[in-house]
Order: sequence, then C-alpha cells, then structure tokens
Amino acid sequence: MTSDLVLEGISKQFAGHRAVDNLDLTVPAGSFFALLGPSGCGKTTTLRMIAGLEEPTTGTIRLGDDEITGLRPYKRPVNTVFQNYALFPHLDIFENVAFGLKRRKVKDYKPKVEEMLDLVELNDYGKRRPGQLSGGQQQRVALARALINRPQVLLLDEPLGALDLKLRRQMQLELKRIQTEVGITFVHVTHDQEEAMTMADTIAVMNGGLIEQLGSPAELYDLPATTFVANFLGQSNLIRGAIIGQADENLIVDVQGRKVLVPKARCRVTEGEVWLGIRPEKVFLAPAGTEEGDGVNQLLGAVVTDVSYVGVSTQYLAKLPWGQELTVFEQNTGARDTFRAGDAVDLHWRPAHSFLLDAAQDALAGVEDVE
Amino acid sequence: MSAVGQLSAASQTPAPPPPRSGRRLTAYLLLLPGGLWLLLFFVVPLVSLLAASLYDPNGSIEDGFSMTWSFGNFADTMADYARPFGRSLWYALLTTAFCLLLGYPLAYAIAMKAGRWKNLMLALVIAPFFTSFLIRTLSWKLLLSDNGFVVDALKWLHILGPDGRLLATTAAVVTGLTYNFLPFMVLPLYASLEKIDRRLIEAGGDLFAGPLTTFRVVTLPLSMPGVVAGTLLTFIPAAGDYINAQLLGTPKQRMIGNDIQRLFSAGAYPTAAALSVTLMAAIVVLVLIYVRRAGTDDLV
Amino acid sequence: MRPRRTPVLGRRAVLRGLGLGLGAGALAACGIPPARQSADKCISTDQSGTQKLLNFSNWPSYMDESEEKVNGKTALPTLDAFQKQSGIRVTYTADVNDNSEFYAKVRDQLGTCQPSGRDIFVLTDWMAARMVSLGWLQKLDHAAVPNVDKYLLEQLKSPTWDPNRDYSVPWQSGLTGIAYNAKVTGEIGSWADLVGKSELKGRVTLLSEMPDTMAIMLRLVGADPGKFNDAEWSKALEKLESSVGSGQIRRFTGNDYVQDLNDGNIAACMAWSGDVLALQADNADIKFVVPEEGLNLWSDNMLVPNKATHKANAEALMNYYYDPEVAAELAAWVNYICPVEGARQAMEKIDPELVDNPLVFPDQAMLSKTSSFMPLDTAKAKLYETDFNLAIGG
Repeated sequence: MTSDLVLEGISKQFAGHRAVDNLDLTVPAGSFFALLGPSGCGKTTTLRMIAGLEEPTTGTIRLGDDEITGLRPYKRPVNTVFQNYALFPHLDIFENVAFGLKRRKVKDYKPKVEEMLDLVELNDYGKRRPGQLSGGQQQRVALARALINRPQVLLLDEPLGALDLKLRRQMQLELKRIQTEVGITFVHVTHDQEEAMTMADTIAVMNGGLIEQLGSPAELYDLPATTFVANFLGQSNLIRGAIIGQADENLIVDVQGRKVLVPKARCRVTEGEVWLGIRPEKVFLAPAGTEEGDGVNQLLGAVVTDVSYVGVSTQYLAKLPWGQELTVFEQNTGARDTFRAGDAVDLHWRPAHSFLLDAAQDALAGVEDVE
Repeated sequence: MSAVGQLSAASQTPAPPPPRSGRRLTAYLLLLPGGLWLLLFFVVPLVSLLAASLYDPNGSIEDGFSMTWSFGNFADTMADYARPFGRSLWYALLTTAFCLLLGYPLAYAIAMKAGRWKNLMLALVIAPFFTSFLIRTLSWKLLLSDNGFVVDALKWLHILGPDGRLLATTAAVVTGLTYNFLPFMVLPLYASLEKIDRRLIEAGGDLFAGPLTTFRVVTLPLSMPGVVAGTLLTFIPAAGDYINAQLLGTPKQRMIGNDIQRLFSAGAYPTAAALSVTLMAAIVVLVLIYVRRAGTDDLV
Repeated sequence: MRPRRTPVLGRRAVLRGLGLGLGAGALAACGIPPARQSADKCISTDQSGTQKLLNFSNWPSYMDESEEKVNGKTALPTLDAFQKQSGIRVTYTADVNDNSEFYAKVRDQLGTCQPSGRDIFVLTDWMAARMVSLGWLQKLDHAAVPNVDKYLLEQLKSPTWDPNRDYSVPWQSGLTGIAYNAKVTGEIGSWADLVGKSELKGRVTLLSEMPDTMAIMLRLVGADPGKFNDAEWSKALEKLESSVGSGQIRRFTGNDYVQDLNDGNIAACMAWSGDVLALQADNADIKFVVPEEGLNLWSDNMLVPNKATHKANAEALMNYYYDPEVAAELAAWVNYICPVEGARQAMEKIDPELVDNPLVFPDQAMLSKTSSFMPLDTAKAKLYETDFNLAIGG
C-alpha cells in the first residue's frame, strides 16, 4: 500500500530568505529516511511541506502517482510526530490516540486504540492526561497517535529532542523496531547525527536549503562528499595538499613536500589544490623514525601536544612541523604504544582510509554546527 | 520497554523539603497587606451589608435602624422587586451572549491572525477604558439619539419605521451593556487563545480534522478557561449595572442596580441591603452552577 | 526562637481573621442609631467674631460669573464684592448636584452631631424640610438678616415646614412646568396632554424627584399638592403607574432632560424654569408653558447646619444677597425666579429685557397658579418615596 515519496524541484521562499532551494529527493517506500542538518538548514521546512503545513513556492510533491503538493494537511495520507509532541492537553491518552480515527469516522475504533496503546506499552494509561505522563511516555503517545492512522508516510520532527540521553538511546531502538514492524515510510528530521546514523537506512545531509549528500550512514561517514559532511558527520582531519600526478589507481598528493597516495575512487577532484581528509581513528601514531611498510602514507616530525584518556580510546593532538594539529584516536587495545605530551612521533594511515575534497570548500564548514 | 517507565520514575525530582519557620514568617508578612485590605474593604462592608439586610424595615435614618433579624425583608423585597431583578439577570445573560458572539471572533483574530498589528489591536480594545464609563455611555446616547445618523440610516433602510427609535429601548440598554463590557470578554479570551500552542492546531489538521473540526475539538475546548473567565467578568458586573439602564432605557428597562442605588440614597437601608444580598447570592449560585458545568478545573 | 508547628496559614490565623470580621458584624448587628438631633443636645458655637471665614456649598451655575478671569480663576462679581465689603473670606464650592446625593454626603456627620465642614449649603424645599425635622439646622437670628424680612417675596414667607423662616432663606426659586421642543411637536398646554397625548408616546420625561412629579399627578386627579390625603395619593400613584405602563414616559430624570430636549430625543418634559431659560438662549425652539392645571413653585434654600462655626458670617451673606441691587445682579445671571422683592426695579438698570420675563419675575396671575408640596413627616416621606420608587419601576 505504500509508495515512494518524491519531491521535485521544491523551493520555499520566506520573506527575506530561501529556506529550501530547488530540492529533489526520493524517499523509497518503507524506508527509514533521515533529514539531517543543523538548525536553519531547511529540514523542518521540507518536512512541513510534506505534511502540508507549508506550501512550496515551487516544485511538486508526489506519493507514488498521486500529486499532493496543494492538498490540505487533513487530506493527506501523511501523519506527523511533532516536536514536543503537541498532544492535546484537554483529552486523555485514549482520546488523543483515537483522534485521527474519529475524525475519519472509523467505526469501532476502540480495539484499534487498545491495540496501538499495546504496541507502545501504554495500555494502563488510557485515562490519564498528557500532563501526567513522563516525556518518554508522551513521546510514545505521539507516535501511537500518528501511527494508528496507518499513514503512507510518517513524519517525525525531532521526536527525541526533549528526552534525556539514556532515554533517547532507548527510544531510538524502539522507533527502529516499530518501523520495521509496521513497514511504513518514516521521514525523520534531526540535527543529531548519531540519532540519524543509528536509525536511518538513508540519510540526506542538508545545509543552507540544499542536500549536501545522500546515502547510507556508512557511505556518508566513510566517504563524505563535502567538507560540511566530513565535519558534521563525525570528525575529520583536513590537511591542505596539491595533486601532482598519479600512480596506478592512486593520485599522488604533495603535502608540505611529502608525497601521499589516495585511491582515485575516493577523490572528488583530480587536479589542483585539495583537502586531504582522514578520520581521527584511522590515523596511527608511531615513535619518530619507525619504518613503515610500502603502501602506507606517512607524515613525519610531529610532536604530541595533548593527551586525553577516555577509557575505550585515547585522544591525541599531534602538531605537524608546519603548525597544524591533527586529532588521533587510538583504541586502547593494549597492543600499541602509548605516548605522552612532548613525544616526537610520526603519523601514518592507509591510502584507502583517506579521501580528497575540493580545496575551494571551507575546511571548517559544519564544525560549529555540531551540537 | 518497561525500563522506560522505571527510568522516568527515577528521574523525577524529589519532593521539596518542608518550609522552615523563617519562610513561614515571610509568608505571613506577604499575606498581611492583602489580608488587611480585604478585611477592611471587603469583609467588614460585606458583614455590615448582611447585617443591614436584617434591620427593622420600619426604621429610618432619622429614627435609626435596630437589628430585629427581620429575615422577612428578603421575601418582602423580592415580592416588590422580582421584575427588575429578573430583568437584570436576563439583560446580563443577553449581554454575556452578545459579548461572547462578538468577542470570540475578535479575540481569535487578534490572537491568531493579527501578526504585527496585535499590540495595536489590543490597545484599541482597551482604548475605551481611557474614558470613564459614564462618558462612554453618554456617547452611546448621542450616537443612538432620535435625530442621530444611526437612526436616520436605519430609517432610510426601512429597518426602523418612521416613528422608530433606538434610545429608550431594551435593545439600547443591552447594546450599551454589550459595548461597555466587551473588553472584559475579549481580554481573557485573547489571553487563553494566545496561550494555545499553534502546533496543537497543526496537529488537528495533520490528524484529518478540517479547520472547522479543529476549531470545535481543539481550539474551542482549549479556550474554555477564557470563555469561562470572560463570561463571568461580563455577567457579574452587567447584572449589577445601572448606568446603562438609567441613560439608555426607560422605567421599563430598569435594572435592580437602579433600585438598589435609589433605595440606598433614599435611606431605605434594609430594603436596599436585602436586594444587594439577594443579588449577590443569586450571582454566586449561578456562577457556582456554571463553573461546575463548564468544568474549568479539568482544563490546563 | 522556638520553631512553630502550625502550617503556613494556620487554623488559628484564619479564625482570628474571621473573628475580626465577625466583630465588625457584631457592631453592625446593633443597628444604626437615630439621626435626629435637637438644639439642646447638639450645641454649636459661633466663632465668626474671630474667624472671618465662610464655607459655602451651592449647586453648579448658581452664582453669577464674569467673563474675564482674575488670577486664573473665574471671578464671581457679587460674591467678590461681598468679600471685599465684609472682610469675610468665602470658600465657594459647587458640590450640590442632587438633593438626595448631598444628603447622603452629610448625613453621617449631621446625624451624629459632627461638623459637616460647611457653614451654608443650599437645598430644595423638601430636603430642607427633612433637615428641619431632623433637627440638623441652626436657628437663624432675624435681627441679623433685616433685608430678608424686608424683601422676601410674600408667597415664600411662610412655608408649612418652616413657617417663620427660622431655619431657611430662599436662595433662588423656580417653577416646575412643561417644556417642549417646537421643532418636534406642537404646543403642549396641559399636564393632561403631556402624560396622555398618544403622539408623545415614549417622548416624554418626568422628574425623578418625587414631590415634583407627584404634585402634578395629584393635580391631575383633582387633589391639591399642598394638602392631600392617602386616598388621593393612591389615585395619583395609579395615574403615574398607568402613564409609565402605557410607555408614555420615557425616563425619570434630574437635570439631564436638558440635553434630550435640546436634541429632540424627547418632545416635551417636566422642566425647571431656569434650565429652560438657559436653553432658550441657544435654541429658540424650546418653549416653557404654564400648564392649565397649574405649576409647582419651589425654592432652593440657604441652610446653616449644626456645628457650623460661622453662623454670623452666614447671616451676613444672606442679608447681603437680599439687597435688591445684588439680587438683581445675581438673577440676571442665573435666570431663576428671584425671591427678592424690589429686585425687579433694580433689574431695569442691568438687563431691561428680563424685567418683564415671568420666569424671573412672575406676575401675580402666574403666582396664583402655583403651589408647593405638602410637607411630610419622615415616616410618610419614606412610605411615599417607596411607593413612587416602585411606580416608576415599570
């Protein structure tokens, strides 16, 4: 019964600024899709346009073959779990959940409501008012209230934002379980990259009204397409370099006189100035002068400037001869050397763990947006 | 999933420690000015009014009034003044209904649709308060006068007959009351409508309720505290008003306030007091029934 | 300090508050003492010898004013002349708007023999009569007011409620007759027309002061307002009730009929002569009629209340205003009936037009048609007030 949700050329112009800019997006039926980005990136506006709460300035929205662009919200087979839940404070939990069914004049809605309360494990709470429930319970009521309508698409607007960390973890798993169980398309808006990665099959990273990159969590993390994605999704070390040639399947990049290799498939540019990106956990430290085998990229002559021990790993800051500091996460497996501040070290990594981005992009994009 | 419940239970804040004596003293001190004020200007007058309603009805200012516990005063005055009494409650009811009909859309528009004009519109609602009640009612009199343009226009439109008039009619009194008490309806309505989370209205739309249904099942119930407050703030003073009946009506529109005012200044204390007490009691009873039925305590 | 165990608002505190309230109730439960005073119980002392002061409360627009201002204040020519001539400094306040209202203002003081803060105030006959019977007024010394004895109009010399003018001296007098707006209606010549003509339905007002309106009703049922019995009163009351019931009467008013009459909201009304005269100055359509059945003559009287400390000064002022020259000057401005004999001659010099105006100087023919309302003892007054009050309730 579900079909793909397709957004074509969607823009939304508010007085003075463009919240969403010519967006094309296809959300496959039955997928758990996340719209991830910092506040003001246009993700919530996009969600509200799908719900019908905002009208797009241009473009069309389709559900399968049906265009729903101009349809009033109450006529769309789409339901929303609102930020802060927006439960009706004057109705009890049962009536909140029954709300949509009653509006659609569904007869015999009572067993359906009971069943839904069962699903979210709130069967004993039907007679209570939303104000008497904890945040997590309210969240589940909001979910039940939307899900009971069996929408083709369920929209979730920062559904876990008001919960504390532990509860949020638990609810992430819970949401994923329910989505798998009901098989409805979930479109989930969040600014929390960890939340998006835990739950979503596909993530669209949005910034400034545009989609920066779309893909599975692993793809986005492993091979970010822009400096924004590299910084917003996890952390990245971006080192300035220039492409000076190629060898077999690799490009040769000059970094301050030292040559490093990057596989062609992991390069977004093929010539000129570049950012060489490496995730902190993919860089390794070795005492200065340690020889490494072929096929390993090396930067020499660094000094450890900061060590923080975080249990599962240790975070180092290593200063390169030209002053740039790289972040290095070493797993505390016990198999590798540990270092102290002031130790002279060399840095090395495997070419397949690095990526090249266009140097025209801002190396700090997305850094300050991570919350 | 059951762990969630436990978690949230544990995260609840513990009950606050019992207040200590210093704080208790502060509470007393804070209560003192208001308490004294109420005692002096509410309890004392109320008790003496109750007492006066039981004085000897044959007393006079000249010969004094003695306390004879004349409970018969109530029956006697009600026999004489049942009509203006009933009329007052009826006019107050009409006024409240008209204020609600006019005030709700107005308050709704200001709260939901006025945007940057909100403050200006609120100021305009309150603006009549910058002149005295009397002056406002007198202006109504001018406006509705037999040779005024309103009457002329209505005659021209054949809504009023050639001998028709607006002044000195029930319509004029109720219109005047409605005008004078409209802000008392609009302000609490505005306050409760303004407080409604817009997302609740969006949620109504999202859950298959059209605009009218959303209004009926979401907005209206959530604005009930404002409706209750507004109707009370309108009904209670309207029932006791006498200025409008005095200036815009005829003897046939006389309200109980006119009688009470007149009886007090004529020195018929027991009768006037008995009427006042009966009016108060009637209003209290009506309000209690109303608040019960409206179930305000259920609302957030 | 020993920590207290009582809750924040303890039972005892509530009880104490309740106790205070009940205490006040207990006081009120004793009733209200009589307000009647007598000369031997409530003794006033006159300090006029040492204090050249006088506090004078009067109705608005009841004192001649000059066009120009002196020191930013409106000059009151006759009063200013009195002050200059006598050396008595007068504090003049126009704070009497309504007899009943003023009564309410001073009754707590006068009823308990306390100073009211005024040395003279001016009230209409019926209220003055009530105050005489309450023993609230000081007896005047006729030797101190020779002009009053000499010039007071014959018809006003011995009202039934103060036969020797021991307590009261008329300030101005007036007639209660019919006024109509000629733009709206033809002439209304009688009280019977006023309360009976169907063209006037809903466009007539009567006065809310009981003696004014009831005197007319009594006339209409053939009784004499100056002397009537309970049966006649009942008939008069029925007459009033039927006029109200038929919708003939729009309202019962105080001074405020003036605006309605001027605007044409009402066609005709029971009116006071002075108001009409003032209105005529701006609106030629306003007419005053001496009705066939007769009309009421009344006075507003200067009274000296108990505990007023400047009685001699008050008497000096009364005597001064009974000087025909002064009286004429005042009458030329206030437009009411001048109670001072001889003022008419003095008026020749001031405003010859007013000399022949019967609303300022009524002729004998007119005066013969006037009567005053019977004085009532307090019990009767209260009974009649209640009757009247119920009758105008509709």
